Amino acid sequence: MRKLQLLLVALVLLTLTAGLVRAQDPEPIKAEPGVELNMVLLPKTLGNAVFDEAHEGAIEAHEELENPGELIFNAPTPDNAIPGQIEIIEASITQEVDAIMISANDYEQLVPSTTKAMEQDITIVTWDSPVSPEGEELFIAQVDFTETGTVMADMALSILGEDGGQFAILSATPDASNQNAWIEAMQAALEADEKYANLELVDIVYGNDDPDDSYNEALGLVDSYPDLELIMAPTTVGIAAAAKAMQDEELCGEVAVSGLGLPSEMQEFIENGCAQEFALWSFKDLGYLTYYVSYLLASGAMEAEEGVVFEAGRMGTYTIEADPNREDGLRVLMGPFSVYNADNLEEWAAGGDEEGEPEVEATEEAN
Amino acid sequence: MQQSKRWAWLKSWEALMFIILCAVVVANLRLSEHYLDLNNLANIFHLSIEKSLVVLIMAFVIINGEIDLSVASVMGLSATVLAERYDAGWPIAAGFALALCVGILCGLLNGLFSAYMGIPSLIVTLAGLIGYRGVARILLEDRSVGDFPSWFTSLGQDGIIGPFPLTIFVFIALFILGFVILQYSVFGRYVYAIGNNRAAAEYAGINAKQVKVTIFMASGLIAALAGAFYAARLGNVRANAAEGFELDIITIVLLGGVSIFGGTGTMIGVGLSLLVVLNLRNGMSLSNVDGNTQTSVIGLLLILSVLVPNLIQLLQRLLPRLFSVIAGFMNKGGATKPKSQVSVHQ
Repeated sequence: MRKLQLLLVALVLLTLTAGLVRAQDPEPIKAEPGVELNMVLLPKTLGNAVFDEAHEGAIEAHEELENPGELIFNAPTPDNAIPGQIEIIEASITQEVDAIMISANDYEQLVPSTTKAMEQDITIVTWDSPVSPEGEELFIAQVDFTETGTVMADMALSILGEDGGQFAILSATPDASNQNAWIEAMQAALEADEKYANLELVDIVYGNDDPDDSYNEALGLVDSYPDLELIMAPTTVGIAAAAKAMQDEELCGEVAVSGLGLPSEMQEFIENGCAQEFALWSFKDLGYLTYYVSYLLASGAMEAEEGVVFEAGRMGTYTIEADPNREDGLRVLMGPFSVYNADNLEEWAAGGDEEGEPEVEATEEAN
Repeated sequence: MQQSKRWAWLKSWEALMFIILCAVVVANLRLSEHYLDLNNLANIFHLSIEKSLVVLIMAFVIINGEIDLSVASVMGLSATVLAERYDAGWPIAAGFALALCVGILCGLLNGLFSAYMGIPSLIVTLAGLIGYRGVARILLEDRSVGDFPSWFTSLGQDGIIGPFPLTIFVFIALFILGFVILQYSVFGRYVYAIGNNRAAAEYAGINAKQVKVTIFMASGLIAALAGAFYAARLGNVRANAAEGFELDIITIVLLGGVSIFGGTGTMIGVGLSLLVVLNLRNGMSLSNVDGNTQTSVIGLLLILSVLVPNLIQLLQRLLPRLFSVIAGFMNKGGATKPKSQVSVHQ
């Protein structure tokens, strides 16, 4: 009898302590493979290499999680960007899919459709470019937006040096929310620190994320500002077009090119000196992480709430947090940046597309 | 004779469109189990309702022998005016009324320059396409304006009968109105007469200028209405609203059997072509066909629908000759000459 009592006490104690340990150090939520979920990956447009890389990452996660459902990849044409995304969301609702992963072309205009989808129990996760928080469950942020500004300012500083000089920004469209936020963050970074005092931003032009337009805008900058020393393009389309323009005009070395670029597209320009340095996060990882989060949410294993900790396969543990840039928004911050230049060329170019990008000179994660 | 008359309608454009429509519907039924869902049926129209509205008036414009490239810019300008005024504190109904007035004004300008000053409407409305969009961009710059009152957005978003929103019923009403005016009214006959031969129509005492200006103003009004509906559906406006819609709109009208040179085409044909394009797009969306392929398919359909009737005509002319030549060869060996030329022409 006594023995039994002791045993009972021990058991109670054990469960209590186990509970305590749990509460102190929450076990990250893990995904159970094999749940059948039909999921849609909806990037901004077709024919942009970065979105194909995100697709690759999503496919990797799809196979890893042995989801017997479908992974649908679809996007509108650039001339039909917003109505096209709405059409795809509505068609996905009709098909009763389980999750839609969106890189949004507009912060507000997709919200009526995404809200309708959520009312039908479809998981809405945004990545790369979010929608207004009421129209999504959470946003997978590639990097912290303020960090992007610092990274660009630092690259400008390392190219122009302490003595500084004139530089111009070649952006995407005038209403591209990502680019505008990064440019603002860069301007803020430039003002915040004395060391950037000699960097003079002379103009911001827009190449509409179109190779031809961006090419012409880059040439226009060179013509308008004879003392221009650097073109900073916070868009993968813009930076490649600017480097090509400098190459064709034999201005490589005279006018430097930097910004956010895709390693596979920028390798030749780094090699021939037409571009100096660029930064980017891995879109493949972004696609992978987005898929994991959507899978966890759609399968009911996880709720989109602040403080929830989960494990995303090979990428490790992440926490859902309040988005500092958007009121009432939730985000998962992927980070960090990788900076690519001639010094580490061999490391990232040798690996080709298969290897993950090395995190050389990776800036510390924000917050 | 009797026989051929009874079947003559089969050669008409409307019949061709009807056959294509049936094929598309059958294909959609086979490809997607969700095609007949009430929500999907509403979506077919709902997601393109603004373009559909403008298609109706564009049929008038083109049959009349003109073109209006500025419609999408007028849609954008109307949405922008409405949003900008709302942002400035006006009640939304007042902004809506002003937007419609702006649309009519745009149409009036198009009409005056093309009909009275004799500048081709292609050029006038191309200028409008650029200019009206420019005004929209000046008004809103990079801003986006939203947070409209819920009664306004629900006009464009929520179903009033089942999942069918008000805008669909507005379209149906305007389609019937357009059909009656174009096919059964004196004004409709003027539209065709001027489109066929403006000089002859004017000799016959028709005031071509007045008719043209009226149509351009109606075009501006409908485009402005569609622009306001677009704002209501998306719940938010940017200066680039409806950009590029004009090409889809003109494509549907031409596919409907309206000659780009004016004078021919019917409202039924245009309505059928609209159904073809909307159902085709919906079916492709439900099968997850990507946007590039969708655009190519619509383009191919336009080319084929122009080519096929021409090819049939050509074959009709060539085949009898071909037969007679073959018959000639066959009979060469024998002594008898071909008894008669094969006569197929009735």
